[in-house]
Amino acid sequence: MLLEVQDLSKIYGNSCGSCLALTGEEHGRAICPECASVVAINSISLTARKNEILGIVGESGSGKSTLLQLIYQDITASCGKIFFNGLTDDRNQPLNILKAMPATVSHLRNKEMSMIYQNPHLGLNFLFSAGGNIAQRIIGAGERNYEKIRKGALGFIDRIDMETSRIDDYPENFSGGQQQRIQIAKALSSSPKLLLLDEPTTGLDVSVQAKILDLIKELQQEIGFSMIIVSHDLGVINHLTDITVVMKHGTLVEYGLTDQILEDPQHPYTQLLVSSIL
Amino acid sequence: MNSTTFAFIDEDAKKEIRRSLLKAVALPGYIVPFASREMPVARGWGTGGLQITLSIILERDVLKVIDQGCDASVNAVNIRDFITEVTGVKETVNTSEASIIQTRHRIPEHEFAKDEKQILVFQVPTPEVLTTVEPDTAKQKQMHANSDYAKLWVLLYEDTSQYGDSRISNRYPVLINDHYVMDPSPIPKYDIPRMDNSPVLQLFGAGREKRIYAIPPYTSVKPLKFDDREFKVESFSGISCERCGAQNVFFDEVRRETGNHYFCSDTEYCDQHLEKSNAS
Repeated sequence: MLLEVQDLSKIYGNSCGSCLALTGEEHGRAICPECASVVAINSISLTARKNEILGIVGESGSGKSTLLQLIYQDITASCGKIFFNGLTDDRNQPLNILKAMPATVSHLRNKEMSMIYQNPHLGLNFLFSAGGNIAQRIIGAGERNYEKIRKGALGFIDRIDMETSRIDDYPENFSGGQQQRIQIAKALSSSPKLLLLDEPTTGLDVSVQAKILDLIKELQQEIGFSMIIVSHDLGVINHLTDITVVMKHGTLVEYGLTDQILEDPQHPYTQLLVSSIL
Repeated sequence: MNSTTFAFIDEDAKKEIRRSLLKAVALPGYIVPFASREMPVARGWGTGGLQITLSIILERDVLKVIDQGCDASVNAVNIRDFITEVTGVKETVNTSEASIIQTRHRIPEHEFAKDEKQILVFQVPTPEVLTTVEPDTAKQKQMHANSDYAKLWVLLYEDTSQYGDSRISNRYPVLINDHYVMDPSPIPKYDIPRMDNSPVLQLFGAGREKRIYAIPPYTSVKPLKFDDREFKVESFSGISCERCGAQNVFFDEVRRETGNHYFCSDTEYCDQHLEKSNAS
């Protein structure tokens, strides 16, 4: 098991203690009626295996991006457990990374996991060149040999079908689709085991979308890593993922093989989603 | 001067600065905040160094103050005059005689005594090495805590890929005791290797930024550099001082119509070298 999430919750506001029980899909709300706290994620458990591609769909505000940010440790969870790739503490017990030392979390974020954001401004440092951005992750993963860093960066520029002569250009001089490809190169340059994608193609035109999705899929098959991809576009989910989870009001409402969910949705919300988009 | 305390600042302030100094020495390269006091010179004119010197100075100390290697520049003279006036300590230009050396942007050429009894006090304009790559102070602290200096390395990567080597001429980032990366104050690259494993206690004070940090004697100081690249200092090969004839020291370059002229940056070294060559 690469990633195991157990009873993960994120509450914004001063919780009254019964927020989790009073919200969720069965209550049809994500705001606690007692204390008005917002329950963004409500006791979610899910797992991702090696080389598996997991899709998360749901309406806006359902907690998809929050879940991804909790896994990547961009934000701190209120309660729950996350285990990663058999990581153990000093007593050989499985290590809950929510309770891990900052240095461990930093290593996970710099090396083992990568995040690709919808907005390239979040994933790329616009003060560094394209090569510099890729180098940042290679360096973050511990490499201190200039030639190896440079070769690694050139290799990834080439892999994302970009002229290697543009390696020293700055992100603002690239188009949106190119920026997104540089983000992918940066994310993959540390050879992560898990890639998290938050709406990676939203806002790009359809032909560019297709190219980027093909690129992601190719690289995934070539390098071999697991992915969790958040999207509201069922086309993207259908194209990329093996397993899909459907979220509503911060809870999981459906979990299954992607084909099965798209062909034979069980939950009324999923049925609505599938019928309205496909 | 009986209206003021010994060494100008009051005992409570000295105590606070000394506590910050102790913490700084215990955590080599770690930046410690302190309550920078008003001084009779404006902030940014060496008040950090001045406050450190005034907090540690004793009646038996011998003081040397330099500015860019020069004992006679206006800044150095004013600071030295002020400190001797409020303490009555003996002053000197002789590096080996001095027990406290306050400096702006240079390390004296002469070797220090091996007995760890000399103290070097640096005046620092920009104590935080990460400001160039991360303006958010909360994030800077986090990065120091995680030893996450990837962004500084990216600067080095970018300079190397676009210009062949680092473009940093002074304030070159250094790794202290294999843990914190620190700003060495705007000393030239030439002085960086001379900080490593030095027998002096090196104290850094930034009065305007209200920060203190330190390198204890015999601590490892390494410039950030790639494994497959050399750390290059300023090269003065074939150049000798026009006044004293010294070689292999750090030079001031004076540009005139007649061409470039070179003189020792460290005036005391220049004087001694001149004396020696006149005697022989």
